[in-house]
Amino acid sequence: MSDSERNWASHRQAKAAKLANVANLLDGKFAKTEAATQILETLISSGDKVVLEGDNQKQASFLSKTLAAVDPEKVHDLHMIMSSISRPEHLDIFEDGIASKMDFSFAGPQSTRVSQMIADGSLKVGDIHTYLEIYARLFVDLIPNVVLVAADKADHQGNLYTGYNTEETPVIVESAAFKDGIVIVQANEIVDQLPRVDIPGDWVDVVIPADEPYQLEPLFTRDPQNITEIQILMGMMAIRGIYEKHNVQSVNHGVGFNTAAIELLLPTYGEQLGLKGKIVPNWEVNPTPTLIPAIESGWVQSIHSFGGEVGMEKYIAARPDVFFVGKDGTMRSNRAFGQMAGQYALDMFVGSTLQLDQFGNSSTVTNGRLSGFGGAPNMGSNPTGRRHSTPAWQSLKPADDPLARGQKLVVQMVETYGANKRPVFVDHLDAEEVRKEAKLANVPVMIYSEDTTHIVTEEGIAYLYKTDSMAERQAAIEAIAGVTPIGLRSDPDTLKDLRARGIVALPEDLGVRRNDAKRSLLAAQNMADLVKWSKGLYNPPAKFRSWS
Amino acid sequence: MDALWIFPGQGGQYAGMLKQVPAALRQHVETLLDLPLLDTTAGYADSVQLQVSITLLQVAQVQMIQKMGFRPRLAAGHSLGVFAAAYALDCLALDDLFKIVKQRAELMQQAYPVGYGMGVIVGLTRAEVTQLVAQVTTTAKPVFVSNQNAEDQVALSGHLVAIDQVLELAKAQGAAKALRLNVPVPSHSPLMHDVAEKLQQSLAEVTFNRPHGIYLANDNGHAARQIIPVRRDLGDNLVHPVYFESMMAVATNYAPDVIINFAPGHPFKQVLAQKFDEQHQLYLAQFSKADIHYLLEKWERGSNL
Repeated sequence: MSDSERNWASHRQAKAAKLANVANLLDGKFAKTEAATQILETLISSGDKVVLEGDNQKQASFLSKTLAAVDPEKVHDLHMIMSSISRPEHLDIFEDGIASKMDFSFAGPQSTRVSQMIADGSLKVGDIHTYLEIYARLFVDLIPNVVLVAADKADHQGNLYTGYNTEETPVIVESAAFKDGIVIVQANEIVDQLPRVDIPGDWVDVVIPADEPYQLEPLFTRDPQNITEIQILMGMMAIRGIYEKHNVQSVNHGVGFNTAAIELLLPTYGEQLGLKGKIVPNWEVNPTPTLIPAIESGWVQSIHSFGGEVGMEKYIAARPDVFFVGKDGTMRSNRAFGQMAGQYALDMFVGSTLQLDQFGNSSTVTNGRLSGFGGAPNMGSNPTGRRHSTPAWQSLKPADDPLARGQKLVVQMVETYGANKRPVFVDHLDAEEVRKEAKLANVPVMIYSEDTTHIVTEEGIAYLYKTDSMAERQAAIEAIAGVTPIGLRSDPDTLKDLRARGIVALPEDLGVRRNDAKRSLLAAQNMADLVKWSKGLYNPPAKFRSWS
Repeated sequence: MDALWIFPGQGGQYAGMLKQVPAALRQHVETLLDLPLLDTTAGYADSVQLQVSITLLQVAQVQMIQKMGFRPRLAAGHSLGVFAAAYALDCLALDDLFKIVKQRAELMQQAYPVGYGMGVIVGLTRAEVTQLVAQVTTTAKPVFVSNQNAEDQVALSGHLVAIDQVLELAKAQGAAKALRLNVPVPSHSPLMHDVAEKLQQSLAEVTFNRPHGIYLANDNGHAARQIIPVRRDLGDNLVHPVYFESMMAVATNYAPDVIINFAPGHPFKQVLAQKFDEQHQLYLAQFSKADIHYLLEKWERGSNL
């Protein structure tokens, strides 16, 4: 075949033909809500790669319900690409044969069913990706045929406003819009004038008004009421033994009570230590309400966010010096850029886990629960190509090698026993068994030992980056693993030696007095205090309003 | 408001429990089955009396809650409780339900008149119990690992001599509890194969509707939305262990707002406390009808905020 005969625009023609088939259902780009099922049945072909927008906060819930309602005779064996499996119908489509293969990152809310459906063969897993891998592969070998996304508002040209919860919408839409994929949007409302344009209408093919607003979870709200004194103790140790010691300037936190404690200790304990203005001015984190006291006390210069947080809208609008806010006064989030910043820009990641093995590998995948992972595998990995000059990065550089590189601080904060009264420290991760059962290519490790620089428990801190053999690393972990079977292997002589060499620090080595770890040290004791700190701008969701 | 309705099996029965059942419903069932219900301690020694009575009590409660205007998103029955669970999801008609339950009880009674039963071990893992069972079981006196009610709570089913041997080994290995259950049949084990086969034949004749909600299957905990897995579970759950722990783990994936525990008894308090921390829980046996109505309406308003 000569070049002149070859059709170089077959995808474009196929897309045009498909759209022509729904022309009778559309008024411009706009469809009626009731026509949604028919539109999906016409625009999606069996075997297509389909991105269904949904992360751990925002869900294209109208389109996911609609997809679950299509006729499996017409549309089947889809290859779904979803950063998060969050809603029951995300799995119902596999039971009904509408889809058969799944590439995903996180499945926390559906982890039991995911596990079962892999075991019984109704769901085939492509890969369990980190977020950045799944976004990146949308432009390489997982280029979608159709994407289903959610917007707050659309105007009559099909321009979209996604506002606080812009999150993954731009990266998903871009992967389809410029490669002849079809972009289908559910919109909460159609308006004459958008507050601002987040996605140009030119990239959008079909807009369907949703029957109800998309699902949005207040996932990162932690009530200070539930922070324990053990968590406060661990927070104090982390501030002294890591934040201060390494002069950490930029950070991403997980969203547990441990890290909420740190946020609430900065304006009190951090202030007492004279650290204000010296540590963590720059954050890549969701707008967690527990950060309000630190922001109000002048600790925080900038916060970029993966997504929004319900109830924080007015507060953020009133603090544009700190947050990324459009001219219209609403925040813009971006999950892909957030993950990139988390992996490449930050001095430090602090997270938590369900299991840590004797070598320091960690995972939240346990028997019967194939949860996948959130942001931790990207943010909790050390990008070795990086060349930062920040004091934190440099402080982990070995002194004896002229070509030595620094390292990102990757901190795991765990209590030695979990909420289920099982030891967090184990000889082998359940994930090893899960890999065999689910026939995965890789053991679903969340953060690898070699990337983990510090572990904080209620017993003390292990400075893993200082160890120079696996045996020494194991000894350091044993020393802070409490009365778990791993911890019981530790002996006093080794502990003494590890403390003397600065590989392990107990609270007393850091000048932290256990008796000082009181709830009164928290800058806010409860949700009402957070509202007060925000000068009434923070508006907690109903389920957190127990005081009213 | 998304509600999870839970129906226990045998064990919590007591004399007089049918007093709460509307007289017309009770009479209808007694006439239908040609079976006067005794509702006495002596009566509950009889498997047919026991199983029909428990189902009657549960069906009466289902009708009561439905009349208040509430429906389940998810229904989970344990063992015998699967029948009321399927009924609550409108899978089968009332008369069919009671005829099947009576037949099930009769078949079970005839299958193993003496010498068989069940036990429970608390504090050992399923893997540990499986090893002990392998040491003891023989063709003449078989014993099987059965229901998994919570992570550390495993049932045994089989010949009583073999069960006692496993219980002794479990105690020696440090089990917190190891005792026989007051169940006269080796339920939820392969010993029930013939019973299940006959039951499945009968169920094949019954008209089923697609469940109006999610049915959580006993034998694997899976969320069922179609007729086939519901029918199968009602017929053959006797042969398989009840993975109640898995059923509840799956239920958490649907994030229910409210859990309603049907009578009799409250065998799942511990595992429910482990799996659910934010949900409202209601034990129908502990409240008056007016209070139940009040609480459900209040929680419904709360979930719509």
